[in-house]
Amino acid sequence: MIKKLLAFTLLASIITIVGCNTPTENVDTINDQGKAVMQLDYRDFDRAASEMVQSMIASGTFKKEGGGRYVVAKGRIVNDTMQRIDTDQLMAKVEQEMTRSGLIVMTAAVGAGNAPKDSLVHSVREIRDSDKADEFNKDTLQAKGQLIAPELSISGKIIQRNVHYDNNKQQVEYYFQLQMNNLTNGLVFWQNENIIGKRGSDKKVPW
Amino acid sequence: MRLMLNTLLLVAAVGVWGCQQEDKRVIMTEDVKSDNALVNIVTKPVIHAFSWVIGEGVEIDRAVTYVNKDGFLQLEIAGHNRAFNPIRYEYKVEWLDKDGIVIDTTTSKWLLTSAAAKAPFAIKAVAPRTTAVNFRMNTRKIPN
Repeated sequence: MIKKLLAFTLLASIITIVGCNTPTENVDTINDQGKAVMQLDYRDFDRAASEMVQSMIASGTFKKEGGGRYVVAKGRIVNDTMQRIDTDQLMAKVEQEMTRSGLIVMTAAVGAGNAPKDSLVHSVREIRDSDKADEFNKDTLQAKGQLIAPELSISGKIIQRNVHYDNNKQQVEYYFQLQMNNLTNGLVFWQNENIIGKRGSDKKVPW
Repeated sequence: MRLMLNTLLLVAAVGVWGCQQEDKRVIMTEDVKSDNALVNIVTKPVIHAFSWVIGEGVEIDRAVTYVNKDGFLQLEIAGHNRAFNPIRYEYKVEWLDKDGIVIDTTTSKWLLTSAAAKAPFAIKAVAPRTTAVNFRMNTRKIPN
């Protein structure tokens, strides 16, 4: 009798634990109905990138006289928030859309600081200038003077400000700042700031 | 005599009040502008309740598209909020090419906007490709 009772209790406990586990589900990134969060999530990067791209295209400053596209190098994008953000979460979307618009083309040969550029662009040239070049078909090696220098650079900053709202709430403000600089004359070609504000419980940590 | 004077004063008051031309470029919300015989502390709750019952909300007056000098389709949507409270909502603009096919772009995302109470609003968007010739827009309530 006791054994049966113990077995039943154990079985009921297992069923309860398994049944109460929060199920995992895939996020519908097209029509996400999820709640807002205090940190930056993919929806915030999507919104910021969308508004930045629209601002660039609507500005009318990227239409190159004489036709063609501006060659753009990636400058420094500073993360001044309390979160570990890979700034490519924002920049990849912006660069992709601007390239597809036909107004600009990104260069992988030049970048500022740790801006990702394709190291192979220079590696193949090192091979060309080394003994290893003998291993390659000379006609397939990159000739000198082929790289195109950038005309513009894109740089920016993501800033976070935490503001005490009232006794129970805090407000976190995220400022997305981007600018395009003319590398020929040093002038700022285009600039925009996008603000995303969040207000929530001060018990939640925004990182 | 007194009756005639009072009547004249009443007619003058109605005349002045009726002849005031509000500049349509300035939106004076009811908590800012002066009350009057029709909208005041007595009638406001009734008017607000009626508005709530019939479910007044955001309405679109017109959608204008034009191609800018760089060849990109630009959109401006003008509307107004008929409700007595601000309405926050999200919208998503999708762009269509000449065959009516939706152009694949990461700029077609749900964007947050709001319309102030009893006030006009405008939404602007620009297509990310020169192949866009038309648009469609969807709206939704802010997810809880």
